[in-house]
Amino acid sequence: MSKTIPIALKDDEPVGLYQAERKVYPRDVHGRYDRLRRIAVVVLLGMYYVFPWLSWDGRQAVLFDLPARKFSVFGLTLWPQDFVFLALLLIMAGIALFFFTAVAGRLWCGYACPQTVWTEVFLWIERWTEGDRARRIKLDAGPWTREKVLRKGSKHLLWFVFALWTGFTFVGFFTPVRDLAARLPAFGWSGWETFWTLFYGFATWGNAGVLREQVCKYMCPYARFQGAMFDRDTLIIAYEPRRGEPRGPRKRGLADVIARGRGLLSAASAERWMAQAMHFESAAQRALDVRRTTGAYQQTEAAAPITASIDELGDCIDCTWCVQVCPVGIDIRNGLQYECIACGACIDACDQVMDKVGYPRGLIRYTSQNAIDEKPWRLLRPRVWVYGLLLLVIATAWVWGVTHRAPLTVEVLRDRNALYRTAVDGSVENGYGLKIVNKQHTPRRLRISLADGTPLRLRSSETVEVPAESVYSTAVTVAADAGVVHGRREFQFLVEDLDRPGPLRVRSAFFGPAP
Amino acid sequence: MTGGRAIPDCPPRPRVQRWGAILWPSFFAAGICTIVFFALVDPLEWRDLTFPDWAISREWGYTLGFFAFWTATASSSLFTWLLLRPASRFNRGRDGA
Repeated sequence: MSKTIPIALKDDEPVGLYQAERKVYPRDVHGRYDRLRRIAVVVLLGMYYVFPWLSWDGRQAVLFDLPARKFSVFGLTLWPQDFVFLALLLIMAGIALFFFTAVAGRLWCGYACPQTVWTEVFLWIERWTEGDRARRIKLDAGPWTREKVLRKGSKHLLWFVFALWTGFTFVGFFTPVRDLAARLPAFGWSGWETFWTLFYGFATWGNAGVLREQVCKYMCPYARFQGAMFDRDTLIIAYEPRRGEPRGPRKRGLADVIARGRGLLSAASAERWMAQAMHFESAAQRALDVRRTTGAYQQTEAAAPITASIDELGDCIDCTWCVQVCPVGIDIRNGLQYECIACGACIDACDQVMDKVGYPRGLIRYTSQNAIDEKPWRLLRPRVWVYGLLLLVIATAWVWGVTHRAPLTVEVLRDRNALYRTAVDGSVENGYGLKIVNKQHTPRRLRISLADGTPLRLRSSETVEVPAESVYSTAVTVAADAGVVHGRREFQFLVEDLDRPGPLRVRSAFFGPAP
Repeated sequence: MTGGRAIPDCPPRPRVQRWGAILWPSFFAAGICTIVFFALVDPLEWRDLTFPDWAISREWGYTLGFFAFWTATASSSLFTWLLLRPASRFNRGRDGA
């Protein structure tokens, strides 16, 4: 039994060479889903750019005032004590993402994600200055002529201005935006404001202008785990291979498969044609240089391409529009791929082409894997119910919680530096810090005292005025006569509003000398 | 190579991908840690407990906190990357390949 043992590892053929990403040039497309996205862009970015400028009760409607540690959102003021509501809001956002993903796939990615929304605007600017796909490719490949400099220059100038405005708006959520704008001409911004305007502007430019689909493919955690929320009943954007295969160009006049009686292929035979199409790329496909990102279909049998007869041809005319419009540069005909952000551009493109050649729409459409496989499917599955009910419960709790917040909170912190101190007259003293948060829009007059039934007393009776929407800190001293309190003794502070009934009770503890 | 099975080995990733994979997730995690931490802790109170003589504003507190978190999370990411490196990166062939 002899076996050669190599002394050095040598790879004759490296497995999967790393290849640098090619630039994706999405082609412009119009249709139902494109219109939906335009609406989403206008609504969402409209909210982003307009909200800081709105006023509510004479103050900025949406302001996250970090230095003052309070958030104002349309008349609602949130304090650090209300962090639980922010946490709940984030949990709700998470469950909503689960819910919508389970029902209809990556709706978030296709229409609402800031990455998609800002990339869309950057693409509009790019199309406006450099032209559509073919012209952009030509421009990039060509020499640096006067026109190229002008077109590229104006694109970058517009991008730059738009990105800076985005950064400015971002800072406007954290510092009053009108004040910020007024201070701009005199360069009166603080270091923070300048830094964040530039940083957020740079991030917008980098993500929406340069990185684009790479953010979705390599940086986004959701893209990696979205598959966990999918099942075979989830609505996905899918190509119908049983109708479309075998794909190929044809002369005008050939009717669609249903009309001419070819009908749908069996799933197995459609899959064979797809594998063949992946293995032996058509000239049109090769020209696109599309990325092969799925190993779902492996050609094993044929060594040479089989040409489909005219009678066999499916409805896909292999025009490759679905690939050209794809912002992430995949071929949807290869099946569901994790890169797909469900933007629906390929549906719009295919519908356009089907209209042109006179075939029924929907070769690429929103459907589920089960529907494609001709299996029974339903929209309302247990997971949809569970996500939906959870969402409803938490949303109800959130609304109830926010509307029933205590308008006044008092925190008592015992002075930890000394357990107790003895005064000249022999009495024992403890120090306390009181933090009073007045969440109301009006100032309050409060009296601090101790609840009855305790041998303790306040050194001085305190009446404080707490301004509207502010945190008031005060130090009080509680005393006990000599020899009355030993060890730990519980008691309650009473905080009474002089203009309103119902005192607030806060428990604390007093320490005296050991017995 | 005869007899044995070829050992699948991925080629080294480009530098920018490597640094991206270390810095980006740690940035993300540090951002969330900062939000949660400073929602519960006022930087000024923390300053009074630790360095009361330093004139640190809230903004400085948030910044220092964020970078402290980022240092910690980035170190963890770097460690993960080190552990994930295949043996071939350490056991180089004689020709240095």
